[in-house]
Amino acid sequence: MKITDACVYPYPLGDSSVRRLALEARTLGYDSIVAADSPALELPGISVVPGLFLSGVPAKDVQSRAKKSRGSGTVVAVQIGDNGFNRAVAGTNGVHIIRGIHAADKRAFDHVTAKIAADNNTALDIDLSILICGRGHLRQKAIHRYLDLMILRSRFEFPLTISSSSQSVLGMRAVREVTGLCSLFGMDETDVQMALAGVGRVTEPGESIVKVIK
Amino acid sequence: MTVRPPTLREKKRYILARIDPAGITVDAKDLYYAVYEAVVSLFGDVTAAAMQPSVLAIEKGYVLLRCIRGSEREFAIALSTLYGCRESTITLRVIAVSGTIESLRERIATLVPGQAPEITGQETAPGPEGSAGTGAIEYRFGTMPVEPVATSGHKIDVIEKGFKNTRRLFLTIEDLEKIHATTIPDGL
Repeated sequence: MKITDACVYPYPLGDSSVRRLALEARTLGYDSIVAADSPALELPGISVVPGLFLSGVPAKDVQSRAKKSRGSGTVVAVQIGDNGFNRAVAGTNGVHIIRGIHAADKRAFDHVTAKIAADNNTALDIDLSILICGRGHLRQKAIHRYLDLMILRSRFEFPLTISSSSQSVLGMRAVREVTGLCSLFGMDETDVQMALAGVGRVTEPGESIVKVIK
Repeated sequence: MTVRPPTLREKKRYILARIDPAGITVDAKDLYYAVYEAVVSLFGDVTAAAMQPSVLAIEKGYVLLRCIRGSEREFAIALSTLYGCRESTITLRVIAVSGTIESLRERIATLVPGQAPEITGQETAPGPEGSAGTGAIEYRFGTMPVEPVATSGHKIDVIEKGFKNTRRLFLTIEDLEKIHATTIPDGL
């Protein structure tokens, strides 16, 4: 079970190189990070997984991009949109993570989308950057969305991932701090451990629904 | 107001946290306001009043904080939402919680000698044919000349050289390219 930060933005998107982010993540207790626009990298004690973060892309393009990156080891994450878009994306083969639920409309992710995500093994991402940097209404809205997400998760059991979405080493938080922040919306330590291992869960090939018994 | 006897005093907990990035100068009063704002914005005035957060001292890049016993978990959560102090971006990494300041000071003493000394960016490189080291080493990150400001193991913090965009970058030694001015042949 790998403890993974599901999204970091290395230089030039941020101010830290991918190696430095990886070193910092290792110090903070992670086993791997998903880095945007970065090649795969293996460093002692930590691995960097390339990530493809799609935002503002129509569902059809998401399908084609996900199809292209299939088998390359890239984690495909899509920014949440309206309800119809989310249902289409949650059911798309090759999409691993749906991101940005903290900023979405409250009807954007409903029980139907949750069921599709659970069936298709698509994870929902908990972005901690809004809890760290956000203040007032923005943070309250994010906590409310995450509380709602926890209710749907307890019913449908779709995978979760946790990301710092940091553009700097200063935005990353230790596993212990992540556990504390996630306790704000009702996640206990076991839930956090499972969510931190969520990237490994969604990227590994799933078991076939039909088992052939000889 | 007279000082209460020890049995009637409120029990406190002391938190040791490292200030990141290394080498940054932070005023204790500014940090107190930043910490208090983080607590109040996350938990509200009632919890902040019960928690009584305070900044005791800043020593050698570490900060000693205090709160009421039993509220250290919430205080640590609030500290993890701290992202800046005045204009500078900082973060506090909680290292230890203790019942006495003295034990945290001992902890600082064990942590500080292990750190590598800061480098200033002007290193002396051995000159050609055994002459005394006079050449300065320039560092580059990609095509961009940078100046190191702090280092710790493989980690190195640099500042871009230039008139604008002189922001701090967080890199590793492997990311940098060393250029020895003295090794360039005369013919070039």
